[in-house]
Amino acid sequence: MSSEENLRRDPHLGATSPTCFDDIWCRHFLLTHQNADGGWGYHPGASSGVEVTSWALIALGSHAEDASAREASERGRDWLLKAQLADGSWPAFPGQTEGCWTTSLASRALQVLGAAPEAVVRGRDWLLRAWPAEGGIWWRLVRRWRGHEVVRQDSSLRGWSWTPHTASWVEPTAHALLFLNTLPPELLSPLAEKRRLLAERMLYDRMCPGGGWNSGNPLVYGVAGLPRIGPTSWALLALARFPERPEIQLSLDWLERAARNARGPASLAVASYCLATYGRRVETLGRNLAELYRHNRFFDNLLTMAWIALALGDAEQRSGGTQEEGVPR
Amino acid sequence: MSLAQGRLVPSFERPASSVAIVRAERYEQNLGQVMFEALREFDLHLDGKHVLLKPNFVEPDPGGVINTHPAVIQAARESFLRLGAASVRVAEGPGHERDTEAIVETLRLRDYLGALPDLFVDLNLDEVHRVPLRTHASRLRELYLPQTVLAADFLVSMPKLKTHHWVGATLSLKNMFGIVPGCCYGWPKNILHWAGIPAAILDINSTVRADFAIVDGIVGMEGNGPIQGSPRASGVLILGDDPVAVDSTAARVMGLVPERIGYLAKAGTLLGNLQQEKIRQIGESIASVKTPFAVLPSFAKLRGPSVGD
Repeated sequence: MSSEENLRRDPHLGATSPTCFDDIWCRHFLLTHQNADGGWGYHPGASSGVEVTSWALIALGSHAEDASAREASERGRDWLLKAQLADGSWPAFPGQTEGCWTTSLASRALQVLGAAPEAVVRGRDWLLRAWPAEGGIWWRLVRRWRGHEVVRQDSSLRGWSWTPHTASWVEPTAHALLFLNTLPPELLSPLAEKRRLLAERMLYDRMCPGGGWNSGNPLVYGVAGLPRIGPTSWALLALARFPERPEIQLSLDWLERAARNARGPASLAVASYCLATYGRRVETLGRNLAELYRHNRFFDNLLTMAWIALALGDAEQRSGGTQEEGVPR
Repeated sequence: MSLAQGRLVPSFERPASSVAIVRAERYEQNLGQVMFEALREFDLHLDGKHVLLKPNFVEPDPGGVINTHPAVIQAARESFLRLGAASVRVAEGPGHERDTEAIVETLRLRDYLGALPDLFVDLNLDEVHRVPLRTHASRLRELYLPQTVLAADFLVSMPKLKTHHWVGATLSLKNMFGIVPGCCYGWPKNILHWAGIPAAILDINSTVRADFAIVDGIVGMEGNGPIQGSPRASGVLILGDDPVAVDSTAARVMGLVPERIGYLAKAGTLLGNLQQEKIRQIGESIASVKTPFAVLPSFAKLRGPSVGD
């Protein structure tokens, strides 16, 4: 019986425990829909992509005792290694010639798996060389000459961009930090430490006035930007070294409230994943996910499935110990 | 194919376009019949064609002002099916929110269209193909674009009538930013901002031309749009087969001078008709439905007596 049939036939789905939902669903779905080339696409049968393959590997990585998950992870790892570009970066899809934010995800996945340390170091080096386009002297001079500040932010605080030659944004910066946070001290060069501190300061600078983050504009034309679940969750995960800071607590409170009303499975999953990292829980996660599945089958979105697997997974297994997110437990 | 083909026609060679303005005061009324009657004014040949509706979904909005209203999408879908389309699907790639399902759930799109998994495509996560851009107004030379858009027989841009804090107004041309996939360019698609928003609008629309545009102006947004503005009811749908003509008409309805909206003025040179004398008005006159929209002070220059007055 397929997992889909299994779920449809389960008359008690509304009360399904998170573990059951995870076991029946997400891992099985991911394993079933791994492409023949070893990667995963955003949807079943779609071309393998670096982002979704990285997240599938991170999600499966916590189930190393499972032979099928282990075998799938090895094939996924091989696919990821083939997709790495000569300069150490990863593109969104093989065939593209320029690396982007997916480099953080692929490097992190390989690091979490404990695989291919050379590829991880090459990915790290590319990230450390990849400066966003804003904040340089010339850029600041032009802005001063124009004489107006539409957005309020300190552009000398630079993180990472989505694509080369563009500006820092919250999510790619958070993913780069999450990767750097997985590295042991001997792989954190002075430049890595410098960029990590700069990026952390950038995230605090970009926080919305009432807590939480949006994609990166906390104040436009003097109007406070509205935080959103995804960027808030990733930023909080990236800043998990500082759980006691008031900005973190304010943002966690916002996220907890927002997660109660989340209407999308991806939002619900990443919020839960984040809150669990800080020891907070979304009580009705399994039930809410089951209801959302009935609505749209999660649009057969494998990335969402991977995030849900992480959200529902065991916290200790998920983190691979305490090092990955650097969170005190 | 929605991929634009043939040469770009300069304005002096271009025949006149038609734009319909129809009154629709409420989303709860029978919009299907209103839409169908308006579409019949156009010489559309849709038999057996696969139609793709591209609304403007930005982020979850319980208030219903940011995104194209699902009642308008439903009306368009029903109407195109009645006109002979083989299929009518809906696709969008929101620019800020990664969780597209959260947007469509908040909109209650399911309640209007029925089961969505086979009907709705998240363009941010679609299969992509490298496409050289036909014009080089920006420094972009190519973009990866979604298979679903490239394979559509008939593409319909369905924006909300809104002001925009970077470019003045966001209508059917700007709405095409949503076809650029986040899986390649991120959330937001910042590469388009760095390429210059007006120039990127031109390059995208010269490469993938919407075959038709339908503007949801029943309740639009004024002021600090496209997200944090205020609701502004205009009670109209504006539609036509020339996106530039539709947008310029919509701008005039908003009390803006289309020639002063940078990207729209440039679009008028190669992509469609901007001047009112080259637009055949169907239905209501601009003057009869004109609803001046508040704009941010930096866009005050867009206001003024329009040709339609």
